[in-house]
Amino acid sequence: MTRTDTPQRPPAGEGSVRRISARRRAFRPYLLSIPAVLLIAGILYPFGLGVYYTFLNYSAMVPEPVLVGLANYAVVLSDPVFWESVRVTLTYAVTTTVVETVLGAGIALLLFRASLVGRLLERLLILPLMIAPVIAGVIWGLMYNPQFGVLNHMFGLGSTFDWLSEDRALWSVVLVDVWIFTPFVAVLVLAGIRSLPREPFEASAVDGAGALYMFRRLMLPMMWPYILVAVIFRFMDSLKIFDHVYVLTAGGPGGATRTLQIGAYQNSMTNLNFSLGSTYMFLLWIIVFITARYLVGVLGKAQRRAAGTED
Amino acid sequence: MKRRPRRAPRSPLDPRYRTPGTPRTPDLSRRRALRLFGSGGAALAGGPLLSACGVGVGGLGEGHANGASEVTGAFDWRKAEGAEISFLQTPHPYQAAFQPLLEEFTELTGITVNTDQVAEADYYTRLNTELASGSGNYDVFMTGAYFLWTYGPPGWMEDLGPWIGNDSATSDEYDFDDVFEGLRTSTAWDFEVGSPLGTGGQWAIPWGFETNVICYNKAEFDRRGVRPAETFDELFELAVDLTDRSEGTYGLAFRGSRSWATIHPGFMTQFTREGCADYSTDGGTLSATMNSDAAVGFTRKWIDLAREAGPTSWTTYDYPDCTADLGSGAALMVFDADSATYPQNIPGNSASAGDLAWHPGPAGPDGNLDTSLWAWCLAMNSASRNKLAAWLFIQWATGKEAQAEAVRTGEMGFANPTRESVFEEAFKPTLDAFPGYQETFERVIDSTRIHFTPQTQFFETTENWAVALQDIYAGQDAEERLDELAEQTTELVNRD
Repeated sequence: MTRTDTPQRPPAGEGSVRRISARRRAFRPYLLSIPAVLLIAGILYPFGLGVYYTFLNYSAMVPEPVLVGLANYAVVLSDPVFWESVRVTLTYAVTTTVVETVLGAGIALLLFRASLVGRLLERLLILPLMIAPVIAGVIWGLMYNPQFGVLNHMFGLGSTFDWLSEDRALWSVVLVDVWIFTPFVAVLVLAGIRSLPREPFEASAVDGAGALYMFRRLMLPMMWPYILVAVIFRFMDSLKIFDHVYVLTAGGPGGATRTLQIGAYQNSMTNLNFSLGSTYMFLLWIIVFITARYLVGVLGKAQRRAAGTED
Repeated sequence: MKRRPRRAPRSPLDPRYRTPGTPRTPDLSRRRALRLFGSGGAALAGGPLLSACGVGVGGLGEGHANGASEVTGAFDWRKAEGAEISFLQTPHPYQAAFQPLLEEFTELTGITVNTDQVAEADYYTRLNTELASGSGNYDVFMTGAYFLWTYGPPGWMEDLGPWIGNDSATSDEYDFDDVFEGLRTSTAWDFEVGSPLGTGGQWAIPWGFETNVICYNKAEFDRRGVRPAETFDELFELAVDLTDRSEGTYGLAFRGSRSWATIHPGFMTQFTREGCADYSTDGGTLSATMNSDAAVGFTRKWIDLAREAGPTSWTTYDYPDCTADLGSGAALMVFDADSATYPQNIPGNSASAGDLAWHPGPAGPDGNLDTSLWAWCLAMNSASRNKLAAWLFIQWATGKEAQAEAVRTGEMGFANPTRESVFEEAFKPTLDAFPGYQETFERVIDSTRIHFTPQTQFFETTENWAVALQDIYAGQDAEERLDELAEQTTELVNRD
């Protein structure tokens, strides 16, 4: 005997309900992505506008700008002042990132073992991060003052040592950056260290590995991805530095601390040449973009190495 | 070459690791996501910064007709009754003196004044953005006289000349000629390269102003038995003699920061007195002359003065640093605005209050006392939608009655009023405790004006000048550096 199954029809009305909910389900991803689309549009529109300005001769003196092609790029790229700004910016970014990374990782290693002092220091450590860089600039400006600043008094330098002279200014603003952002690196790396698995260390200890060997061959490779995340953040941020440097030196003396951001600000806001300012910023964006891509590649490699999937 | 198949990740630390049983996400690996993060991060970093360099396109190409001719009939303070205006200002003794008086203006005219204050460090950034956007958010704003050379050509400011000349809009008692002549001419220009100031439109009305002279610690001078210098060489010697770095004191404070504002006060005053000029004019072309023999000689001596008798951190010094050092007793003289040093002598304001006195500073070789000025002015946004109300406010605030009251009631003083009558009748009686202030003012006022050649690239070229001074201070050869500056400046000012 052959049994024939007839498909059961849904009760009347159920099909349309299913169709509606299926349609809703299909529509839901678009609905959920609206905030992201708006956010991206909010970023891309001004970004695109900024890039567009780089092809105009838009300034206060030219209220009806016209397209000038690559003239702004030619002006900026042939200006030695721009290249001096590139040099200052890269020196600043590399120095702050290296110093902050070394110090931050060192502090994180010191605070790794839980203790009462360690916990207290952890909390104190983040205090500089809570201060706006502009305020930090004002505070350090007072401390650097040769007449009444605490630093000259503390180190017995008298009133003739100028922390912000042409040959010292860059290192003095680097010091302020290190003071503000080393805790950021320390906190990030410390969180990373604390999330490392214990088993490899226990196994190594059983095998009789020494502390230095374990640090070099186990902890450091596994810490690398966290250190690199800190490096990426700090390097990108340092390339865009403006606030406390501007407060302390306004880019001087001469061009000693004139970073690309300060150059862009001076072109746009002091000289009211919006197209040249935008060109500065677009060139800075290219530098940030390229370095970010490179560093993210290095990070991926480090992660694979830490996981033991790549030599 | 055959690619080796990739080994399946076994460690949870591998970004490609997948928990057994979970579906594979086809495209967005962590590595890829990180790459996107990198690119996106960079875009995020750059986007807002890049857009911040532009100010929007609202102001491009818009023209605004002057509104003065629309006002007809008899003058009446209540002609714009019920209107509301917005006033952008920066904290300053002038602003502080007028703030409590705004209610009186509202009572007189029926016009409400909404004020916004922006700190001076950010003021011009805000103002530039507002004006360039063409939004007309602010009807009236405070501005310095040099800014007219930048704000005027794009049409951001209303020419107030037609308003002053319209009897329907301006009270008979206004008497614009009562404003010191040097101030009136300093706020008018036709924006033609080579034209002197005083020609063309009246772009702003001076509200308060300062002359750049020497303020010194008289008590300390009397103790040492010295007198203010009458020539630049004497000033050099005196300042060096007064400097004692081991005690943390030095002879003369003056500005040296990387800003156009370093040039206009003491430097430009003495530069002019020594017979130097910033440009020579040949028809419609300017040639920078800050590298003339006289200018190189003077600049070299000025920088030596900064090294030997100036503040140690001279390249960061702005006027608040200079006046603070005078007030604390660290500096024994300041070559800067009289209005900036004036509050230091008000009891309770500084440790040196009551000890300070004023002197015109070194005269030039021919005895001239040419003096550079800074004026805070009130100007009208050409995009204002309340022009009559805005003009009535400017007229009231720069009028005799309100200015005299501000002089009498201002907590931080009102140095200096811009009207001769107010200076004579209201300001002079307040100067008993300010030795030499009035005499100094009277000696320099006739030769006090803007001594820069007006040109539209003023801020860029003048900041470059300050940078050159810093480079010379750091050891570069004065002649070579000034030659380089003059070449660069000539190119900039004649740029299309």
